[in-house]
Amino acid sequence: MGSAGRRNGFAGVTAEHLTAGARALVLVAGLVGSAQAQSFDDAIFMDRRVLCAGLVYTREQWSEYWEGTLKRNNANIGTLTMQQSAVMGAYGISKRLNLLASLPYVSSRASQGVLQGQRGSQDLTLGFKYDALTTPFTSAGVLHVIGVASASLPTSDYTPDFYPMSIGSQSRRATARGLLSWQGHAGMYVNASAAYTRRGNVTLNRPAYFTDGQLYMSNEVRMPDTRDMMLTIGYQRPNLVVPITLTQQRTLGGGDIRRQDMPFVSNRMNVTRLEGRVQYTLPKLPGVIVHAGASRVLAGRNVGQSTGGMIGLLLAGKL
Amino acid sequence: MRITTRRLHCAWMRGLMGVAVLASATLLTSCDKSITDLEPLPPMAAATVDAGAGNWAMIVLSSPSQIAVAAPTATTSDAYKAELAALRSAQTSVTSGQRAKIDYWAGGGVLRWNQIVRGLVARFNLPPAPRADGSYVFPDASNPFGDPAFPFATPPYSARAYSYIAVAQYEALKAAWYYKYQYNRPAPWKNDTGIRALAPTTDLPSYPSEDAVLSGVTVAMLQALFPAAVEEATKRGAEQRDAALLSGRASSSDIAAGVALGRAVATLVLARMTTDGTGNAIGTPAIWAALADSARANGETPWLSLETPTRPPMLPLFGNVRTWSMTSAELVTARPVAPYPVASAAMKSDLAEVRRTTEKLTTAQRSIAQKWNDGAGTYTPPGHWNDIATDFIRDAQYSEVRAARAFALLNMAMHDASVACWEAKYKYFNPRPSQLDPAIRTDIGLPNFPAYPSGHSTFSAAAADVLGYLFPASAESFRTMSEEAGLSRLYGGIHFRNDITEGKSHGNRVAAFTLRFARRDGAP
Repeated sequence: MGSAGRRNGFAGVTAEHLTAGARALVLVAGLVGSAQAQSFDDAIFMDRRVLCAGLVYTREQWSEYWEGTLKRNNANIGTLTMQQSAVMGAYGISKRLNLLASLPYVSSRASQGVLQGQRGSQDLTLGFKYDALTTPFTSAGVLHVIGVASASLPTSDYTPDFYPMSIGSQSRRATARGLLSWQGHAGMYVNASAAYTRRGNVTLNRPAYFTDGQLYMSNEVRMPDTRDMMLTIGYQRPNLVVPITLTQQRTLGGGDIRRQDMPFVSNRMNVTRLEGRVQYTLPKLPGVIVHAGASRVLAGRNVGQSTGGMIGLLLAGKL
Repeated sequence: MRITTRRLHCAWMRGLMGVAVLASATLLTSCDKSITDLEPLPPMAAATVDAGAGNWAMIVLSSPSQIAVAAPTATTSDAYKAELAALRSAQTSVTSGQRAKIDYWAGGGVLRWNQIVRGLVARFNLPPAPRADGSYVFPDASNPFGDPAFPFATPPYSARAYSYIAVAQYEALKAAWYYKYQYNRPAPWKNDTGIRALAPTTDLPSYPSEDAVLSGVTVAMLQALFPAAVEEATKRGAEQRDAALLSGRASSSDIAAGVALGRAVATLVLARMTTDGTGNAIGTPAIWAALADSARANGETPWLSLETPTRPPMLPLFGNVRTWSMTSAELVTARPVAPYPVASAAMKSDLAEVRRTTEKLTTAQRSIAQKWNDGAGTYTPPGHWNDIATDFIRDAQYSEVRAARAFALLNMAMHDASVACWEAKYKYFNPRPSQLDPAIRTDIGLPNFPAYPSGHSTFSAAAADVLGYLFPASAESFRTMSEEAGLSRLYGGIHFRNDITEGKSHGNRVAAFTLRFARRDGAP
């Protein structure tokens, strides 16, 4: 979900979140020779008929999490590791309208305790990114006003009822993002964006569940919507992009994990994360872009304090 | 060539765009987030009033008249007329909120309280968190709001709670029925044409009010079992009484007499409950060590907690708790035979089956494991069977007293199953699959007590037998559910097949004692 919107798993634990973590990836190099990554929440566009696609691997781990607002560890989990391999792609329908897609395969594993790791194909996200307005802004740069609309659909029957081992929420989602990007002529750029994600109900295999202070006599779980805000400061050269991003995600409702309880799919999962990336186009192979990054959760609620790393390889070319 | 490529390209693009647009549109338009209530309880009137229930066998009380209820004032008295006048006046300004409460409680008082109790069990079914030094503090009834909260509503604790609440309600309602038909005071809406019946009606006499009896007895039971929830329970009780009054079903003196009767019955039932041995069920470190020593002395591998830090076993002396329908001798007679020795070929085969099953778990098996998980934070397996029973009791349109009988029988059997199962578990102190093969990972939480026999299987078999007795047309489906509940533990990776097989027949044997009582209790 590049709709990075969903970065809120139990600790960065959920794949949704990882998916977001692995956003970036699509590079445009093509015949043009300039390497740029493209994701659901950045300001990069493929040229018309340029396709950029590749694989991104993300690994995140946490050994401490927030049980509601209480930070703790859990010796029956030890360190929880979520790994994700995502196929990602971006295509230039026109220079100002791009189609984006991602599909991750996610696995979870706990280093201690007896809980079974989970794995599977997670959610397919498809979206459009539109550069609505481009205008000079100050003498030093250009301002872009960008809109992104995306939708995510689960692609397998992974369970949403086994957090923190679950690899996703099984919720269908739609995200709308507004993004302002100022791109300086000297290479500096600043992106600021906000997104709202609507999340569909989730169905469990049991007839009742307790969350947010009450027993629900239902197998359906109402999923609170989420929103996020992102601020990126970056530097770009023709063959190099280095963004640093601060993301704040909030779940607009949901209960806390109770004392010594397991997390639940509709918990109020909030996270503030800092992430750095480097993407580099090989000078002698202009259609090949490599990507690497690291992230750290700075604050959270009902999520793990994860530390992550990612690496990706993308190929770009004109169709 | 070029044209062909372009056409292909366009088709591919249109396809992808179509999918994306369709997906977004579907999501954004189907934005109904309401969730389906799987247990609706619409307002209903009992199919029969069960006028003879005052003569059905008592369980804790010596007779239905053990607690005296004074005769009501005559319906012709000024005092009663004043009550009716107040009611008429109150009915002129019923708010939509009050209307909603009337409808809520008209779904059935016993059924509603059962739902509320399930919610409390789920709320309190959380194990204590370890302290920084790796030790655990046990919940303290005198500090119910602490960390840990009191109680930890484990399956045995909750089976006992469900049973004591149901029995107390049943005793109180039988006593109420006895007096209702002794005094035969008609409901306010029958006595005064100016009073409307705002809920479905029957010919049940209204003194003492069954709604008030239920509120009085249940709140008092909850105060003892879930002291941290006393405020919520008290509020619900008041709502139930207000609904009875405002609906034209009971006058204020009907209600006052009902509350008093309910509370008095609770006092008698609590006297039994508080001396039933549960207070000693946690044991001591010396007792826990002796359990392991005893297993070793028998040449067996003792159960070990697989939690970190190591957690004391759950309620090791719960097997000494007083049962409803079995004597201590019958508890021993009904006990399952010893489990397979850990070194035996049979055990190795069972162990290999658990590993094989968990490694190749199918989606259907995982669904079953989750459906019946009923672990920490839930209403427990006994709660699940109360959930199942609710639909049948509602659909049969039972009177309050008959609904209470059904829940009492069901929960008496499950409490006895719980005591019997815990007695056997700690007699044999047998390991879980993951203890014998650390490669076995579980798809549900691993319970922190010995494996053999399976509690789910015992509870479920006992529950299915009682429900099959009450609703014979569905007996086969209850058995099927019970089998599935048992097998769910194999799929979850937390039980051997033999735990399940023996647990199931143990549950059947335990239920026979409950049914021995049920068949002679005088209820037609």
